[in-house]
Amino acid sequence: MQNQVAKEKEKQITRRGFLKMMGGIGLTGITATIAGCSTDPAGGKGWMPQQYQVASSFPVQVKGRIPIDPTNPSITRDDRKCVLCGQCVEVCQRVQTVYGYYELPIKNDITCVNCGQCTLWCPTAAITERDDIDKVVRALEDKNMHVVVQTAPATRVALGEEFGMAPGTFVEGKQVAALKKLGFDAVLDTNFSADLTILEEATELIKRIKGEVNAPLPQFTSCAPGWVKFCEYFYPDLLPHLSSCKSPQQMLGAMIKTYYAREKDIKPEKIFSVSIMPCTGKKFEAQRPEMNSAGKLAGKPQLRDVDAVLTTRELARLLKSKGIDLNKLPDEKYDSLLGESTGAGLIFGATGGVMEAAIRSAYFLITKQEPPEALLNLTPIRGLKGCKEASFDIPGVGAVKVAVVHGLNNARPILEAVRKKEAPWHFIEFMCCPGGCIGGGGQPRTSLPPSDQVRQARINSIYNADAHIYAKRKSYENKEVLALYQKFLENPNSHLAHELLHTHYTDRSKQLTVKKDA
Amino acid sequence: MSKGVLIDLTKCVGCGGCTVACKLYNDNKWDEKTPTMGDKAKLTDKNWTVVHRKEVKNKEGQPVWRFVKEQCFHCKEPACASACFAKAFQKTKEGPVIYYPHLCVGCRYCMVACPFNIAKFQWDKAFPLVTKCTMCSNKVTKGEAPACVSVCPAGVFKYGDREELLKEAKSIIAKDSKYVKHIFGEEEVGGTEWIYISDIPFEQLGFKTNVTKRPLPSYTAAYMHATPYVGIAWGIVLTGLYHYTKRRNQISKENNKNIKA
Repeated sequence: MQNQVAKEKEKQITRRGFLKMMGGIGLTGITATIAGCSTDPAGGKGWMPQQYQVASSFPVQVKGRIPIDPTNPSITRDDRKCVLCGQCVEVCQRVQTVYGYYELPIKNDITCVNCGQCTLWCPTAAITERDDIDKVVRALEDKNMHVVVQTAPATRVALGEEFGMAPGTFVEGKQVAALKKLGFDAVLDTNFSADLTILEEATELIKRIKGEVNAPLPQFTSCAPGWVKFCEYFYPDLLPHLSSCKSPQQMLGAMIKTYYAREKDIKPEKIFSVSIMPCTGKKFEAQRPEMNSAGKLAGKPQLRDVDAVLTTRELARLLKSKGIDLNKLPDEKYDSLLGESTGAGLIFGATGGVMEAAIRSAYFLITKQEPPEALLNLTPIRGLKGCKEASFDIPGVGAVKVAVVHGLNNARPILEAVRKKEAPWHFIEFMCCPGGCIGGGGQPRTSLPPSDQVRQARINSIYNADAHIYAKRKSYENKEVLALYQKFLENPNSHLAHELLHTHYTDRSKQLTVKKDA
Repeated sequence: MSKGVLIDLTKCVGCGGCTVACKLYNDNKWDEKTPTMGDKAKLTDKNWTVVHRKEVKNKEGQPVWRFVKEQCFHCKEPACASACFAKAFQKTKEGPVIYYPHLCVGCRYCMVACPFNIAKFQWDKAFPLVTKCTMCSNKVTKGEAPACVSVCPAGVFKYGDREELLKEAKSIIAKDSKYVKHIFGEEEVGGTEWIYISDIPFEQLGFKTNVTKRPLPSYTAAYMHATPYVGIAWGIVLTGLYHYTKRRNQISKENNKNIKA
């Protein structure tokens, strides 16, 4: 019975009726597609991080993000990856005391010291170093160019982490082997110019203490480009305290295109100079207009002392893109002429290191005697404490008081004390990044945000190499540095040394309005 | 009272977080060709808000940068809504001017009507719609600030009752001499929910300052109200004409028949 009724119903659907029905379905379908099957107003189909889903317009937990100039030579941001978590603001404001320390409205500059700590804190890697790998690859492919590379002290205790090694693994020899495999014509060591820096800077310090130059005490170190720019922005009145010495990167850059070029009989304009740095600020430093002393000396001021700077992370990316596995490489040695180094040069990579290295040499330069064992292991100024102090006697000079700070938030109270003439120290080491260069903004993102365990592992590795791996521990024992003075520079702080190894600073206080009550 | 946003352009540091928040909340895709930030920033169907960088001179004649956020102003009497015969654009009592995609017929009268050239068309879609900032109306109805407003680290925005914000803006520019004595959006096109204060004259920052202070719909309201009556009257006239000519033809046909016969 039921079947029959169904059949009868089926027969009742005529051809016209069927076509009408199909047309109707089609029309509804098209309408639904166009309208998206929804009668809601447009917008609000995505998501927002939880902390922004609140009534108030600016709740305390909302951090937003820091401004980054699109032309910033050091860092860049991919907006597609940003989740507005506010970690960049956190580190820029609380650790480096840059963001939020200037009045609004801004002037014609986005205040940034190029330290790159934000690249280490950004959980989505939206903020990264500006990628200069292509520049280096193009130079390596150019047969007419002599491409040299220098490696900073701190990269050799961190590069291994990019290849799965434990934090702080010492990969100096493997790094050299990797760079040679990439096709660099010479692999030189920034440790070498760190030794050179020490001889220049210690000589300058002694001159300041003895009153031979018209420059105030305490003397500030000038190796960290982030710290230098910070001083130029916020404490321009204290710029005379800064040592006039260039950083080791720029010293070696200047030596490569003068002394090295002369000794190797290569025209400076045929040399492409690369540096591997733990630092994004070095990209900015290399672009500072005054960093062309080798070119100026050769009558070609458009030549840069350093042509390209790669961070540790970029080097790792470049190696991986060429299929080079650091784990499988043998240890190789740096090339000579500008490749020898001492433990004093190596410890530049850790907070307190520049100070310790300077003290070892200053003692010798003043007394002409070897420093005592205690000065070779200056534990009071080692480690991760924010501000460290030490005092020791140098025969003929008396008590020398020194201070060491790392992380720009730790620098502010010291600088305020210097401003008020309440600073008892002769020499202060400032490093921009917490932990020193080993915690630099270009280092592997091994822990996120950066942790003291990783920083300490890298520091331990550096001091271990200084004490047990390196044969020499004092800058004045570096034979190649001594040869450089003999053949080229004559003596520390000579006229030529001033031209090539020393620099001047720029008052940047007109580019911002410094907050008074910050 | 309707909700509004007060933008203090002197506080913007140019981070562009607001443009990211807009993309996140509204699920708008990133456009590789047109950035949301900087000198080449441009509103598109995907970019509902952008931040322009402007190089100008301050009162002392020194070159300074200012960042200008652009989005729908949410007019108190929106021309887009009055131009839309399908009611796809509607003004809500909370303030936002919102858009219903299912009502849109795609005529784009709204785009012509908008005095600030805000609404954008999805030119690359098979079934394109019109898009613009909706002031995150579904957040606003819940009492929350729009997405862009809630993420600003520099305190550029204030969200609240528009009339309160206007009072506040007036007291800010009265107290602080650095501000120009003009609140953009107070009177422009009859007033907008988003209002701006600045230390640089608005015309130098790319604002359209030569707009009328009269609400745009008021220009047409008087005679547009007559549309239904005109329509009906015209219908009656045409019907009359139809019957008249029909009868005339009939008579002439009959006359012709009579002649042949």
